[in-house]
Amino acid sequence: MATSWPKDRRLIGKDIPRTDGPEKSTGRARYSIDMNPKGLLHAMILRSPYAHAHIDAIDVSAAEKTTGFKAVHEINGAGKEVYFAGDEIIAVCADTEEHCRDAMRAIKIKFTPLEFFVKEADALKNPQSKTISGPAKSNVAIGAEATKGDVAAGFKDAEKIVEADYGMPVICHQCLEPHGLVASWEGDRLTVWASTQAVVGTAQQLAATFKARIPQVDVKCITHYMGGGYGSKFGPDIQGIVAAELALKTKAPVKLMLNREEEITVGGNRPSAYGKIKIGGKKDGTITAYEVDCHGSPGERGGATVNLGLLPYVYLDTIPNWKRKHTVVRLNTGIARAMRAPGHPQNCVLTDCPVDDLAAALGIDPLIIRRKNLPPNDDKVAQSDPTAWLGQRNNIYVRELDLAVKLSEWEKKWHQPGQGGKGPIKHGIGMAIHTWGGSAVGNLGDGQPANDATVIIDRGGQVIVQSSTQDLGTAQRTVSAIVAAEILGLKVSDIVVRIGESPFGRSSGSGGSTTCPSQAPATLRAAIAARDDLFAKIAAKFGAKKEDLVIEEGKVVDKASKKGLDWKKACAMLGMDEAKGVGAWSSNMANEIDPDKKILVNPGVSNVQVGGVQVAEVLVDVETGVVRCTNFVAVQDCGLIIDKLTCESQVAGGVIMGVNYALFEDRIMDRHTGRQVNPDMEFYKLGGIQDLPRIKVAMVDMPERGVIGIGEPPTVSTAAAVGNAVFNALGVRVPYAPYSPENVLNALAKKGAKG
Amino acid sequence: MSDPQQRTRNGPGVTRRDFLRGSGAVATAALTTPVPSLLHEAAAQKTEEVVGLGPKGVPIELSVDGAKIKNTIEPRITLLDALRDYMDTTACKRVCDRGTCGACTVLLDGKPVYSCSMLALEARGKEIKTAASLHGDGKLDPVPAAFVAADAQQCGFCTPGFVVSMRATLDKNPKATPAEVEAGLAGNICRCGTYEQMRHAIEALCKKGG
Ligand code: FES
Ligand code: FES
Repeated sequence: MATSWPKDRRLIGKDIPRTDGPEKSTGRARYSIDMNPKGLLHAMILRSPYAHAHIDAIDVSAAEKTTGFKAVHEINGAGKEVYFAGDEIIAVCADTEEHCRDAMRAIKIKFTPLEFFVKEADALKNPQSKTISGPAKSNVAIGAEATKGDVAAGFKDAEKIVEADYGMPVICHQCLEPHGLVASWEGDRLTVWASTQAVVGTAQQLAATFKARIPQVDVKCITHYMGGGYGSKFGPDIQGIVAAELALKTKAPVKLMLNREEEITVGGNRPSAYGKIKIGGKKDGTITAYEVDCHGSPGERGGATVNLGLLPYVYLDTIPNWKRKHTVVRLNTGIARAMRAPGHPQNCVLTDCPVDDLAAALGIDPLIIRRKNLPPNDDKVAQSDPTAWLGQRNNIYVRELDLAVKLSEWEKKWHQPGQGGKGPIKHGIGMAIHTWGGSAVGNLGDGQPANDATVIIDRGGQVIVQSSTQDLGTAQRTVSAIVAAEILGLKVSDIVVRIGESPFGRSSGSGGSTTCPSQAPATLRAAIAARDDLFAKIAAKFGAKKEDLVIEEGKVVDKASKKGLDWKKACAMLGMDEAKGVGAWSSNMANEIDPDKKILVNPGVSNVQVGGVQVAEVLVDVETGVVRCTNFVAVQDCGLIIDKLTCESQVAGGVIMGVNYALFEDRIMDRHTGRQVNPDMEFYKLGGIQDLPRIKVAMVDMPERGVIGIGEPPTVSTAAAVGNAVFNALGVRVPYAPYSPENVLNALAKKGAKG
Repeated sequence: MSDPQQRTRNGPGVTRRDFLRGSGAVATAALTTPVPSLLHEAAAQKTEEVVGLGPKGVPIELSVDGAKIKNTIEPRITLLDALRDYMDTTACKRVCDRGTCGACTVLLDGKPVYSCSMLALEARGKEIKTAASLHGDGKLDPVPAAFVAADAQQCGFCTPGFVVSMRATLDKNPKATPAEVEAGLAGNICRCGTYEQMRHAIEALCKKGG
């Protein structure tokens, strides 16, 4: 039978506080880093202090004599090279953290320092040099190029052309709970408590690592709570494997969690993106041509920096003539990882900031250009699937622009760039728009669903939802409880949810905002299956036909006789049995087409692709260069919202991450030592509550589209909106983020010099 | 928040922080080597003894959330590490480990302190309260309750620190305005970005009067 969401929704879409809120807010929730199994040992990794070096010799003899020393595990031994400051060399295990540090200090390593680059500009100036690992011949990989239409003709057609530089620095994930895990062996069985956003994936990767040596290896990964991932925690990583190795060697549980400096230098980062952009257009708002030549660095290894295939971003299908080119610059720095909408915020800055500069050159409100160049609806798609993004994206954007204009009082507050007031504090307002894929719910290699959930109803009426999936702060427990409670006519607090243990079934990693659109439908199907199993098992005792049984709030009712029984009493009819349902969901199921009717079998259960419009307001002090973002409006569509309260917090959180990106964050590398200057939290700045704007979130609820993930989209256009607001305040483009006092004053000085 | 004035010195020219980790020794060594090596602690010399205790463990008894907990720990250990590694406490988190983020905030005789930035020994004889104490007899204190109601938490890793800071701010001034409560949270950092929801929580609490 086709799957669908209930039409009358008692709980879904309401403001429901997260069910594990009390445990989290009082610190009783035990995260992986809080696991202290009996006999626990501690491990740490000694890392390269050099950006690039040859390891000549390692001497651990003195370390072995230190108090509490247990074992070492070599990662990169003598004769090997290390490629960035922070690259792993050797891990040490001791009985306490203090003794571990003592032992680390006693290890002697001889290095021969080698040539390195830690700044994009330096590597670009030396394209013949290679200072990185792997087969590439140079640090600089002249990247892909693509063209649409006739760019020269497009610029000829333009009434105004703007050419300028734009750029975003590398920023770090800065998860508050660091990467790492606690590993414990019992015979062939390895249990890890990991801080991961891929519970099943982490177990699988560890099993694959040890399979050759321990053929029967059985790995269990547990992640009941985790303190932030943002795309950087998809597997055990080197430190997780090392912890398991040391646990095997010492026959004791071992904890290895990164310290703050390591978390910042090796725990992942968002690649930089710098672009030379040329954009041309007409007074009516038509963009006639766009050209971008950009580069960015993903660190020592890794590839993608911007999403080149999506540039010029939202306007890809509208701008008739464009050309794009992208160069990847590898540096001797920590390796990039997926970070909340990988590549998209960079894309948005490289597109939506030039759009505002073009508007200024044309002397028009940038809103006119945005409205004029919105991507069109695809009417064919609209006919075959009325829930699809492509068929209605234009209407959605128009609706969102209207809402954003109203909520931000754009008509009243927008002024010509540079007209932000007479005193030294200038007001500015800026806008940007975004899109994100959202929900590619996974399939396994054999086409089987990669996500499932189990719902169990016992004879006492207790309902348990079980799934291996993880909660990154996305309220996964709460989402599962809401869905099960909705179907079974119960209260959210009646449902026990168990998540974050790999033996609980299949689940994909939380990437691409796929978790909710995979897990909510799986839970829906499991709850329906469990309900039907209950009906089948109690129908005889109930004196009804199972087809006649229905759920009403707190009751099981026989439609035929109108007899209703309290939930607990109905469940007691299970006797010694229990009712159980298993549900799965995958992109194959979401996309399945009825071969006869040629329409979707399960329309509107889950979906792909959303848009959003954001407006930032800033105050810029032209004497000090300080930018304050004061107010923010985030309009976001999201299909069927399961929990409005936690959904809106995700959106506000995305905005805050984006404002941090725009105003504060910057991984600063030192050209001379090859090291990060600010691998900490005092000089790598994240805003506190007083540094960040008031945020109005407006969700465009489109329940007919089904569930779509929301973790990533709301952080995409934030930095561009802030950048545009700063431009509106000053009438001068600050080319490079962060829009810090230094960068703002530099931009003003340059303008002053030019007159 | 714990004001910098509280960071007294342990001995001539040695700040407490230097003493805590032996990081003073690392920094000194770094200056004399060709390349600074903050990550690479191998070159560091042994920390000089600057007080009469240690380096061996000493027995210690701490009062944590009303329970007396005994253990033997080295004098160099911070209050945060003592609570987490030796007393199995979960409600203070180690994030920056150097007095910036507030995730380790606990109440010491009612005053909020960064537990990463003081020695465990200094907390002897004092009443230590973590966020876990705000769940007495199954009843949630109004501050964490407001965090739950407004959804002022996502991953929740920073949250106990914020909750303790907010509790302390309101204890000190039950009539605090929302702006004053925000100022009380200036020493805490959240990466998930829960500030807007925190403001909703603050507004609800200020209306109620703490
Ligand atoms: S861990 Fe103590 S302030 Fe950050
Ligand atoms: S809730 Fe995750 S860091 Fe604050």
